[in-house]
Amino acid sequence: MHVEPSTRLVKDENVAFRRLAQGEGGVLLHLESGQYHGINEVGCLVWELLDGKRTVSELVAVVRETTVNAPADVADQVIPFLESLRERGLVR
Amino acid sequence: MTGLVDGSCYGFQPVSDLAFEYLRGGGGEALAVAEEQEATGENGDGVLVTEWTPIPGRRLWARLYADGSGYRLWVEGYGSFAVDPHAPSVRLPAGAASAVRREERLWGIPAMLCFVARGDLPLHAAAVDVGGEAVLLAAPGYFGKTTLAAGFDVAGHRVLSEDVSCIRFLPEPSVVPGPAMLRVREDVADHLVLPRAEAVASSDNRVHFSLDPDRRGDSTAVPLRAVVLLRGADDEITLDRVPAAEALRDLWPLSFRLPTHADRERCFHGIAQLAASVRLWNLRRPMRLDELGRVVERIVADA
Repeated sequence: MHVEPSTRLVKDENVAFRRLAQGEGGVLLHLESGQYHGINEVGCLVWELLDGKRTVSELVAVVRETTVNAPADVADQVIPFLESLRERGLVR
Repeated sequence: MTGLVDGSCYGFQPVSDLAFEYLRGGGGEALAVAEEQEATGENGDGVLVTEWTPIPGRRLWARLYADGSGYRLWVEGYGSFAVDPHAPSVRLPAGAASAVRREERLWGIPAMLCFVARGDLPLHAAAVDVGGEAVLLAAPGYFGKTTLAAGFDVAGHRVLSEDVSCIRFLPEPSVVPGPAMLRVREDVADHLVLPRAEAVASSDNRVHFSLDPDRRGDSTAVPLRAVVLLRGADDEITLDRVPAAEALRDLWPLSFRLPTHADRERCFHGIAQLAASVRLWNLRRPMRLDELGRVVERIVADA
C-alpha cells in the first residue's frame, strides 16, 4: 500500500470522522466494518485535508505550513499515516 | 377512556387508558400508548432490521421489522409491539400477564426507537442525580449498574435511569430521566434496604422496585457531569480519568443502533460528542454491599 508523493487520496465514503475535545485528537469509524481508529491532532488535520485533489506532497506542505513547530520530517510521519489509512480501507 | 396521563418518562407524556407505575411528574411530548385488541404473534410482514438472540437467563429473543413508517418489534413470550417513532405511538401486545412488566417493555426498545427519532441518544447506562447534575454509570449487563444506582438511592440521590439512559444534547449533554424503577438482583434485594421504594414485581431473579413518587421529580433534562465506566472488582476504590478516544471504545458497544450506515453514523457522532464533552472515569471497586456507601461517596466527591 505504498503512497507516492504524487498520489491523490480521497476519504472512503463509508467513514465517519469526529474531533474530540481540544488536544485529544479525533476518531474515525468505518461504517461497514464497525472498526474505529483514534488519531492525533495532526492526523485530524491530515484527514480534513484529504479531498482527492491535493497530491500527498501538497498535503504535506499544507501540514508543514499550518502546524506550529512542525518537525522537519513531517513527510516521514504523514506518509506512513496515509499508508495505514489506506491499508485499513479508510481512504482510497 | 383515552386521555393524557398525569406524568412523564423520557420526556414523553402517555396518552392512554392504561395504568402506569413508573412515571415521573410533569408533562412532555404526547406518546400514544394502546393495547392491541387481540394477541399478535410474529407477523413476517416488513423488512427484518435486526435480531437479538437469547442469552440464557439474560436476554429474550427479539426481532425488529421495518413496517411502513414505523417498526414492529416481536419479543418472545410477549408478542408484537407496533412502534411509530414519528407519531409517536406504541401499540402493546394484548393480554399482558402483568401491567408492570408490560410497562417495563414499553420503556425499553419501543421508547428508545421513539426518542432516537426525536434526536436523543440511548445508552446502556444507569444515571443518578448528584446535586442537580447527572452522573452516568455505564457498563454492560451484570457489571453492577443497578446495584450501584440503588446505592445512590439509599444515599438520598435521585435515580434518573436504571438501565437505559436517554442523552440529549442542548447542545451540552444532559440526561432525560427514564422510568422510576430499580430492578435489583434478588441476592442484593435480600440485603439492601431501599427505604424509598416499593417492590411491585419479581421476575428473572430480580425484584422490581417502584421509586417513591415524592423522590421521582419530573423528566426535565438534567445536565450531565460525568460518565463513570464500571470496571472489574478491586480491593480498593479507584477512580481514574480516561481519555475520550479510549472511552469511546467502551461506549460504542453500550449504544443502541440499528445496523444501517445512517444509524451507525448517528450513534457514532452522538457518543463522540458525549465523550468530548464530559469527564470520563474508570471505576474499580470492591464488589461488596458493605462497601457500596463508600463507593457512592467517592463518586459524589470526585467524579
